[in-house]
Amino acid sequence: MLLRYIIRRMLIGVIQLFCLVIAIFFLIRLLPADPVSRLVGLNSSPEGYAQAARQLGLDRPLLEQLGIYLGLFPDVAPGLLQGSMGVSWATGSSIGSEIATFLPVTLQLITLAFILAFIVSIPVGMLGALNPGKAVDKGVFVYSLFAGSQPEFWWGLLFVYVFYFQLGIAPAPLGQLSPMTMPPDPVTGFMLIDTLIAGDPSKFFEALHHLMMPVITLAFILSGPIIKMVRQNMLRALQSDFVLYANLIGLPRKRVARYALRAAMGPSMTLIGILYGFMLSGAVLVESVFSLGGIGQYAIRSVLAFDYPAIQGVVLVITAISLVVYLLLDLIHAAIEPRIAY
Amino acid sequence: MPDHVPDLPLGDTKYIPPVRKADWLMRIGVAIVTLVIFLAIFGPHIGPYDPTRTTIRIAVPPPGLTEIPGLVAGWFGGTLDHPPHWMGTDANGYDIFSRVIAAPRTDLKIALLANILSLSVGVFFGLIAGYWRNWATELLIRVSDVLQSFPVFILAMVLVALAGRSATNIIIALAFVYTPIYLRLTRAEVMGQTARGFVEAARAMGNSELSIALRHVLPNSLTPALIQSSVTIGFAILLTAGLSFVGAGVRPPTPEWGLMISTGANQIVLGEWWPSVFPGLAISLTVFGFAVLGNALERRYEQG
Amino acid sequence: MNRDDPLLRVRNLKVGYEVPGDLIVPVEDVSFDLNPHEVVGLIGDAGSGKSTTALALTGLARQPGRIMGGSVTFGGRDLLTLPDDEIRAIRGRDIGIIVQNPRAALNPMLRVGRQIGFAYRAHNDATAADARAHAIDMLRLVGINDPERRVEAYAHELSGGMAQRALIAMALSSRPRLLIADEPTSGLDVTIQAQFLDEMWQTVQKTGSAMLLVTQELGVIANFCDRVLVLHEGRIVEDAPVRRFFSAPQHPYSRQVLRFYTDRASGYPEQVSGGGGFLRTDALTKHFPLRNSDKVVQAVDKVTISVARGEAVGLVGESGSGKTTVGRCLMRLEHPTSGAVILDGQDITALNAAEMRKMRSRMQIVFQDPFDSVNQRWTVADILDEPLRVHEGGDRAARRERAVAALRQVDLDPSLMIARPRDLGASTLQRINIARALICNPDFVVLDEPTSVLAPRARNSLIALLARLQKELGISYLFVSHDLTTVRYLCQRVAVMYLGQIVEEGSVEQVFTAPQHPYSRALLSAHLMPDPTRRRVDNPVPAALEGEIPSPIDVPKGCYLASRCPHVTDTCRVNPQILTDLGKGRAVRCERVVNGEIAPTPESDDA
Repeated sequence: MLLRYIIRRMLIGVIQLFCLVIAIFFLIRLLPADPVSRLVGLNSSPEGYAQAARQLGLDRPLLEQLGIYLGLFPDVAPGLLQGSMGVSWATGSSIGSEIATFLPVTLQLITLAFILAFIVSIPVGMLGALNPGKAVDKGVFVYSLFAGSQPEFWWGLLFVYVFYFQLGIAPAPLGQLSPMTMPPDPVTGFMLIDTLIAGDPSKFFEALHHLMMPVITLAFILSGPIIKMVRQNMLRALQSDFVLYANLIGLPRKRVARYALRAAMGPSMTLIGILYGFMLSGAVLVESVFSLGGIGQYAIRSVLAFDYPAIQGVVLVITAISLVVYLLLDLIHAAIEPRIAY
Repeated sequence: MPDHVPDLPLGDTKYIPPVRKADWLMRIGVAIVTLVIFLAIFGPHIGPYDPTRTTIRIAVPPPGLTEIPGLVAGWFGGTLDHPPHWMGTDANGYDIFSRVIAAPRTDLKIALLANILSLSVGVFFGLIAGYWRNWATELLIRVSDVLQSFPVFILAMVLVALAGRSATNIIIALAFVYTPIYLRLTRAEVMGQTARGFVEAARAMGNSELSIALRHVLPNSLTPALIQSSVTIGFAILLTAGLSFVGAGVRPPTPEWGLMISTGANQIVLGEWWPSVFPGLAISLTVFGFAVLGNALERRYEQG
Repeated sequence: MNRDDPLLRVRNLKVGYEVPGDLIVPVEDVSFDLNPHEVVGLIGDAGSGKSTTALALTGLARQPGRIMGGSVTFGGRDLLTLPDDEIRAIRGRDIGIIVQNPRAALNPMLRVGRQIGFAYRAHNDATAADARAHAIDMLRLVGINDPERRVEAYAHELSGGMAQRALIAMALSSRPRLLIADEPTSGLDVTIQAQFLDEMWQTVQKTGSAMLLVTQELGVIANFCDRVLVLHEGRIVEDAPVRRFFSAPQHPYSRQVLRFYTDRASGYPEQVSGGGGFLRTDALTKHFPLRNSDKVVQAVDKVTISVARGEAVGLVGESGSGKTTVGRCLMRLEHPTSGAVILDGQDITALNAAEMRKMRSRMQIVFQDPFDSVNQRWTVADILDEPLRVHEGGDRAARRERAVAALRQVDLDPSLMIARPRDLGASTLQRINIARALICNPDFVVLDEPTSVLAPRARNSLIALLARLQKELGISYLFVSHDLTTVRYLCQRVAVMYLGQIVEEGSVEQVFTAPQHPYSRALLSAHLMPDPTRRRVDNPVPAALEGEIPSPIDVPKGCYLASRCPHVTDTCRVNPQILTDLGKGRAVRCERVVNGEIAPTPESDDA
């Protein structure tokens, strides 16, 4: 039963992915932007323009372009079916390899931010729920509304000003490591792991130091909705009939609190799904402020340069990750919640 | 005569204790939103300088706290030769204060129109998807899901950058992004309402399905979407600012908070904090205000 | 401590809660005693504060309420002043409690056995293995058949009756001196209710606990309690031994409560002539397909009933009987899987949508939940106007007058036209629903359990209204109900349904005074009479059924009642039973009865 469910979801996911990729493909080609001019300059000759268009493959009919992209004409160029996402128009490098370089940076950022946000938010949210109506709860509540409505790029800059410029505790926002440092060999692509693999603890701490502010910024933004939801779910669980009954039959406080916590976890899964989308957007902006060089910055660069293959590649990869994350979350939810049947 | 004396709420009515300060919190939200609306209407005209012109070409810091009383006196006394730059100027010489209060017109206009558009489309399709459940509406939901599963910011960025950076395109891109939310919200509410007895009673009475959908279900399903609007408008402002920050939003020299922050970002490392901090503060408070208002409305609605 | 000292002494208990700008006090000043081994009933209207009082005895109040005063003395100590861990020790160990909605009271995420285990370990030193064994024993004690399997179930997998038994297992696991049962049988089927109360009473006798039984039903009080407390407007207004309460109530409110039970015509409604089905069904069958499965839920199985003009036919049964589905098929709110529904000679199942819409003005339905049946945002005027608008059109002023006339017809004041549903009480709203159903002068009305959510006091007046309207307007009713008192008062003929089939039918007098089918007998004997002189617990009950109602998904091959019938034989289990006509409008679906193998019940007094 379970296996059938997973397979069915994955199949649906693949179809959704496919549809989105095709939709983006057509969408960006139908919009008025002109990538050829962007690359060849506004004052090029008609021949130069035509040649550039040919080079980019934009002279062919749309469906043919789609076919090439999908890999239906492998002799012209490798496509998706051959496992290739094409070549970036801006840099000329393989998009697959570019994304492989940039994606881990973002994932590292998001994971650390997520962990930090959760470590802080869950106790705070519970604190509010366990003291409903009192001053501490009001404070928790107002904070959650506040944090969830903040511009992360501004807070990033603010932190740079305060902690780098004024206090000097944070490094300059120039990337994952100081520009003077040689980065370690990219084994996994995750800077923190690679520095450890390379056996270089000083670089590890330097990377950590550079990650400090971006992670705090992103975790701050995340803490708003997480606290709000933890507090709300805990409150609901604490008001529920079965918690009342658990008190009525004299279960010890700790046991009752665990009852409530367990019940509060289920609805939280949906929240995490929503947060994930939230986070990727936030990561894009935070990356730009701190020049981390992740996929967010890559996306910005590609969009501004009208680099179609790169844009398509980013969309493909991010959507695929989203779908996997949603599937995992649904599975976890179903595992926790005995009322759900597959 | 009523059948029962009020007793404690039982069972399903969840009681979440109101944050007693709900009143003052809501007042803050209302105050902020009112201020923003006021500035949207009058902002570009009441500033001491023209938000789109520069007079000097250098960055000037805002007055120090001790200088302010003197400047205020001078300003009202007419002894100053030019109005003070209350928030300083940026590297190109624009007066920050005038631009900060002029920006709401841009941001609010975009956010409001985007919201109205996505609300209308989302509610319309949400009603259809929720009331008539067949393969076509299931497809609609799937499409909406796919759209929603993609990170908001990147989608908006792609749309605006490629369609051309104008307010209209931003509005359309934002509408794209927010419609699935309203669709889902309305659909869930419609599905809940349709399961209620009065819908069946209306059928038993001989109403046509269309009549039931429009007269009974739709009016009862609108409230969550309307409440969500406040929050959505706030987020739309945030998104517009973010887009402008990375260069995929409005064009300079339109006064817009995100744009201002991005031009000021280069100066932060030099210690010139004012071109970025003030606009950011404005965004921070504005979106907070909308979020608070939305939350207060939501609590009102829950408590019936 | 003296053996005669009260077990629990409540003095001046006060519980209230704050709303913006006001303080509401449902429990104003409550004082009473409970003695060891005694079964005391606490009766009062819905919302009178009974549950609040019950909870407050353990020192708890449901949010946002607070206990504001008074004392609850138990074992020499005032429970309301004890520190938290001391009172937690008492709760569950010395005072057990079961509540109204058992499935909601269980933790949905844990298996039932574990929860019972936790309750046990909270008050006794035991390992997890011990606790599990103990849980199995307790489940067996409270009447669950295969406790080893049930102990692994989740709350949502249990039926209402099972879940309630699980709660009792939890509540009694430490042999408390007092068991508080807060409306434990609301929502349970009639036969299950009787079974459950029997078992609970016996278990309490075994453990030697005292019991406080909170309820609205006088039948429960009369049959199970030794003493009665009446709660009205936040105070105990009467405290009397049960027989004295019923024979000579002191307080005016008590008299009012009892009057609605005793003040009834003893005769049966007159039979209606003019036979022939004005409305009839022909082998009506309805199956619901199950998602992700080939199986079907058999809701209705070849049911043929007929209702004459001006006649009221009752359809009784418990959950799973299919009675509600029959009503809905009559209204074509469901499409019958097979069979026909014929109104005045016309087969309405064959009509197309437009024709059906026109037909609907001739047949209407009143639903069970008056609040759910109306659009909460509309005014009463809008609600009454809708059917007129749909079927007749015409100018608004004329429609308005008709709406006002409809209100008057159901004994309501026209000033209610501008009211909204949320400002009105349940029985008022139900009258409005009736007015709405009648406003287009239908020939036929299906009444789907119209009184089950009303307080007992309100039920009789609604039934009286329906009876009067029938005489005045000559409409036919199909009255679907599980409450036998109401059926007996209103209907001329009755059909008893079980698992989608009619098992017995006849005139109300015939079926109620001398039921033939074992299920009808069980149903009627499960009906708790408010007569303390013939307590159920004092006399053995002859016709009780065992076990649970089988699932309508896997219907048994032979007689559907075989698993529960006290008269079952092997042939019963194998042969499908057919509805046999006994003449004079009587029919029974039981071979053994038809063959005279089961002695007819002696003529009993009116049910």
